[in-house]
Amino acid sequence: MLFEVHQLSKRFGRLPALSGVSFRVQPGEILGLIGPNGAGKSTLFECLAGVLPCDEGQLLLEGFPLAPRDRHSLLFYVPDGIAPWPAQPVGWVLDYTIGFLGGNPALRDEVIAQLDLSTLLRQPLGTLSKGQRKRALLAVGLLTRQPALLIDEPFEGLDLRQSRDIGAALRLHAARGRTLFLSIHQIADAARLCDRFVLLNGGEVRGEGTVAELASLAGVDTTNLEEVFLALT
Amino acid sequence: MPSPDRSLRRFLWLLNKEFRELVASKAWWVLLLAMGPLTGMSFIGAMRTYAEVSGLNGGSAGVGEALSPLIGVWAPAFSSCELAAVFLLPFVAIGLVAGDRQSGALRLEMQQPFGPGLRITAKALVLLAGWLLAMLPPLSAIPLWVSLGGSVWPPELLTLVLGHLLNAGLTIALAAAMASLAEHHATAAILTLGVTVGTWILSFLGAIQGGLWERAAAYTPAVMVSQFQHGLIRLDVLGAASLLILAGLAIAALWLRTGVSVPRRGRESAVLLTATAALLAACTLLTPSWDTSESRGNSFPRADEQALAAIRQPLFIEVHLAPEDPRRVELEARALSKLRRVLPGVQVRYVSSSSIGLFEQAQPGYGEIWYSLAGRRAMSRATTPDGLLEAIYSLAGITPPLESGADIFRGHPLAKEPKGAAALFYFVWPAAFLAGAIIARRRLS
Repeated sequence: MLFEVHQLSKRFGRLPALSGVSFRVQPGEILGLIGPNGAGKSTLFECLAGVLPCDEGQLLLEGFPLAPRDRHSLLFYVPDGIAPWPAQPVGWVLDYTIGFLGGNPALRDEVIAQLDLSTLLRQPLGTLSKGQRKRALLAVGLLTRQPALLIDEPFEGLDLRQSRDIGAALRLHAARGRTLFLSIHQIADAARLCDRFVLLNGGEVRGEGTVAELASLAGVDTTNLEEVFLALT
Repeated sequence: MPSPDRSLRRFLWLLNKEFRELVASKAWWVLLLAMGPLTGMSFIGAMRTYAEVSGLNGGSAGVGEALSPLIGVWAPAFSSCELAAVFLLPFVAIGLVAGDRQSGALRLEMQQPFGPGLRITAKALVLLAGWLLAMLPPLSAIPLWVSLGGSVWPPELLTLVLGHLLNAGLTIALAAAMASLAEHHATAAILTLGVTVGTWILSFLGAIQGGLWERAAAYTPAVMVSQFQHGLIRLDVLGAASLLILAGLAIAALWLRTGVSVPRRGRESAVLLTATAALLAACTLLTPSWDTSESRGNSFPRADEQALAAIRQPLFIEVHLAPEDPRRVELEARALSKLRRVLPGVQVRYVSSSSIGLFEQAQPGYGEIWYSLAGRRAMSRATTPDGLLEAIYSLAGITPPLESGADIFRGHPLAKEPKGAAALFYFVWPAAFLAGAIIARRRLS
């Protein structure tokens, strides 16, 4: 086990966003965080990364709590819907990721090729389309060195071909031992890419495991993740 | 824990990023473009007036302080810095500090083991460098003035530049604090301008109410700059300005952190502000000051200073003048401020029942200034430096020192038109900054 999330809770005023969320993350796996809109997926990632303070609960590493300020040694989180450094060209952003965020320079060319960024290197990030920006941000995440990479909606804004290509690239990075924890609201994308799933609904974990394990939990006889999802939510 | 070498490399990357963000900021280029014409207007106007006072067009030359380049030329020429610091610099600072949060960059960058203090330090250093570039137009007036035959007294010029750097530092710290507190640029800009207007109101209240208001107003940016414009460096003002800059940046660092609850940040801010207030109060007790002006406009003649320094007993002065009475303003600005520099322990008490004193004039005792020293008391109505010195010497039993001719500032008349200034400030600087903007933006990509 790489790390464990134990009884994590977060409220926004009176509204509970996460209630006693617990699950485990295995090393080298691609774990999918699935759930309907408003389930608390992004909030969970922000709490895990220490970007948002959580009200209760812990992230346990080898059985010991890991404080938010120390989580940079374990995980890196790529949020969805951000447009950082809009005036800076993609090439510089990748260099900055290596220089400031401690990224791996040996991966630079490979990641550029995998995410088809070579023609965008001189383009400022703020001038890119949604899909192009998403690819640039995925590159930022893939260059970092933390054992676990959390990506919120990695396929948002990408077309089918790009989604498949990027899915293959993510698989390659996972095969090298990096743990990927992906929040995906498109169940088909999640089913295609992920090894295991955490199903979140209304801020609570409704199930954790492979499709077969979730199907068993839901009491349905199917290997279709969409049907399992509907049964559990 | 990252090694010092790695931390330094990261800090250099951060500086690189902040500088690129500054270069990409339109607000900064607008500030730079405005500085040339703003300086030109004030410098050309000041030089023409100076030339007239110096006897241009057949007029008779003035004397003394009127022909001090510091008061006559440099204070107005550098007033462009004051305007830019209030109305333009905050937008540059807010853009640089709040931009990361609005774009989402902060959520990526804060996942690194790099303290928010260092992050805000990098931003402040880059903003200060940006401000130094903005000061090039007023600084370029110095060689122009010298080339026209003008006289320069470096210590007073350096004091003036220091004052404007501190003022910019205060603006940057205030804008950074507001940008980290507010969610949006516009809110941060309103809050920053609100605080600036608040300091103006404080100065106004100080002028009307006197007392504590007057003491507090002495530490507002406008009054602080005015002291540096007169070549006066006061340790209490230096300390208070430095403290406020550090406090503003610390507040910004506290609120830039992600993953920390608002109540906790609020508690930490309250502790910080309390500590700052206590240290500010301690700063007001610092008395050393330095008069760097060539005219020694903030000091009594040296012989008088030596004579006054010989007084060991505590001196009390009770002034029966209302805060807005011009005599009190003259007494404070031209006599008591100089006296406090020689006798830091002097205690001055103002007595009045109204702010303007208009209806107090007829009351017995109004206008009197009572001096008490070693059990003796004396009264005078004079509000000039000479009147004040005469009263103190008489009370202390000291023979007034003879006036030394060598001590009198004769001034530096320069009856010349500001040739080349219009071209420099209205064309060369805007063109240079425009070209800089185009080249820098191309180089960014």
